Amino acid sequence: MIQFMDVGKMYPATGKGGEPTVAVQEFSLTIEDGEFCSIVGPSGCGKTTILNMLAGFETPTRGQIMAGDQVVTKPGPERAVVFQRPSLLPWMTVFDNIGFGLTIRDKNPKGHNLEITQMVEEMGLSGFERHYPYQLSGGMQQRVSIARALITDPASLLMDEPFGALDAQTRSDMQRFLLELWKTSQPTVLFITHDVDEAILLSDRVVVMTPRPGMVSEEFQIELKRPRKWDSILSTEFLRYKKQILSVLRHEAF
Amino acid sequence: MGYPWSNQKTEMIEEMPMAATDMVIMDTGRSYRGYVPWIAALVAILIWEAVAALHVVSSVALPSPIQVFRDLIATATVGYSGQTLLNSTLFSFGRIAVGFVLAVLVGVPIGFWMATTDWVFLIIDPFLQFLRPIPPLAYLPLIVAWFGIGELPKVILIFFCTIPIIIISAMSGVKGVQENRKRVAQCFGANHWQMFRYVILPSALPEVFTGMRVGIGVAWTCLVAAEMIAASRGLGWMIMSAGGQLQIGVVFVGIIIIGLLGYGMELGIRTMEKKMVPWKGQA
Repeated sequence: MIQFMDVGKMYPATGKGGEPTVAVQEFSLTIEDGEFCSIVGPSGCGKTTILNMLAGFETPTRGQIMAGDQVVTKPGPERAVVFQRPSLLPWMTVFDNIGFGLTIRDKNPKGHNLEITQMVEEMGLSGFERHYPYQLSGGMQQRVSIARALITDPASLLMDEPFGALDAQTRSDMQRFLLELWKTSQPTVLFITHDVDEAILLSDRVVVMTPRPGMVSEEFQIELKRPRKWDSILSTEFLRYKKQILSVLRHEAF
Repeated sequence: MGYPWSNQKTEMIEEMPMAATDMVIMDTGRSYRGYVPWIAALVAILIWEAVAALHVVSSVALPSPIQVFRDLIATATVGYSGQTLLNSTLFSFGRIAVGFVLAVLVGVPIGFWMATTDWVFLIIDPFLQFLRPIPPLAYLPLIVAWFGIGELPKVILIFFCTIPIIIISAMSGVKGVQENRKRVAQCFGANHWQMFRYVILPSALPEVFTGMRVGIGVAWTCLVAAEMIAASRGLGWMIMSAGGQLQIGVVFVGIIIIGLLGYGMELGIRTMEKKMVPWKGQA
């Protein structure tokens, strides 16, 4: 279970005459184990700050965040992160990138061949093990990022607009791909996006945030039955959710 | 495996041409890349020959390529002032190699240390910035007074000329590490050593190589200055000495050998770079 308890984040004033910025305010949210939870909101509303605080990259200036029964103070392997821009290490092959978490965990780059090969197959990356990231397309790079995040079998997966830089077709392929993966290992997912369709299609719950300072504006339990398919986004139910969420967003944006 | 979209195969095949096109470009590139530099060199020599043959300037000041070639043979066999060309070249090369390699071995760790530890930066940076703009000729007398006239002062001079460039490039290499890449390692719980080994060092390597390439050029520039210290052999010494006796052909020989050696070292570092940082400029 992940719990944000009255979390706030204020950035100190920078330079001359700058005001301190309150990025996130009184943010409370509980995500159940195995739940797929998306956060949508206007750009600059502090979505990424929320994720960074849960990941342990940034510290809240108020409140606290619990992951399992522990207070989050620093990054940890049980909370894997997939970044918006693929953050693969360009000096490592696809194979080594995927195994990076195991290399770090076991303090040894060798002896993980079996696990990595299995992951490579599962991700549809066979034949590309010896390629370097720059030789792959954006979609494949992001698949490698997801593989790298999942290989240590994390309890939760934090995704910061992971498909934001992809074209529409690849993006839709990746969404289905992610759902399939999630179904098998069922980690808790916190998914940040500005794409309402994407949020509804993937999630059990969509949290809409207000513009800065970011707070929870409204939450929507998405009860579309799974497995969801590409045409789920055309169902009346889906459109009803979309209409509700968009109207909250429009309202928030004034 | 077995997923409804497992016709990813088609997607992959579509992606292959990207790499394939690159290779095609390189292949067609190779055909002219091989000979253009040689043609350029040949044209330069022909222009030189033409200018010399027309006696635009006196043949003492501008010997023809053929005359220079004769001087090359003469210095290579008989030698100049008792030193064969090979001997002078080896001495110059050795001084540069020792001074430059020491600068890399000392400079890279210092640069890394300065980039990661603030107080080290605060202590070293003023000295570095102070030392950097001073031309080597200016502290030549000091180096002679302190270290005499043997091999040591020459190596020290090259070392001091080169090390600021190496330090600065190593430092900026480390400072330029992308935050996301560090975060990836943090996520997996990397310790300091792992962070350095897997993220910071490889991130910094491309810049270190750039620093080395600039540094090797500077090292050659310092050579003539270094060999003004009461040297009796070396390419720099040969140039200075022959110049004093108006043996301009020998000066040309020295210049050409230095140019070729510098070029060769650059190519060597470039090859090393391609092996060690194949991703440079790609990511």
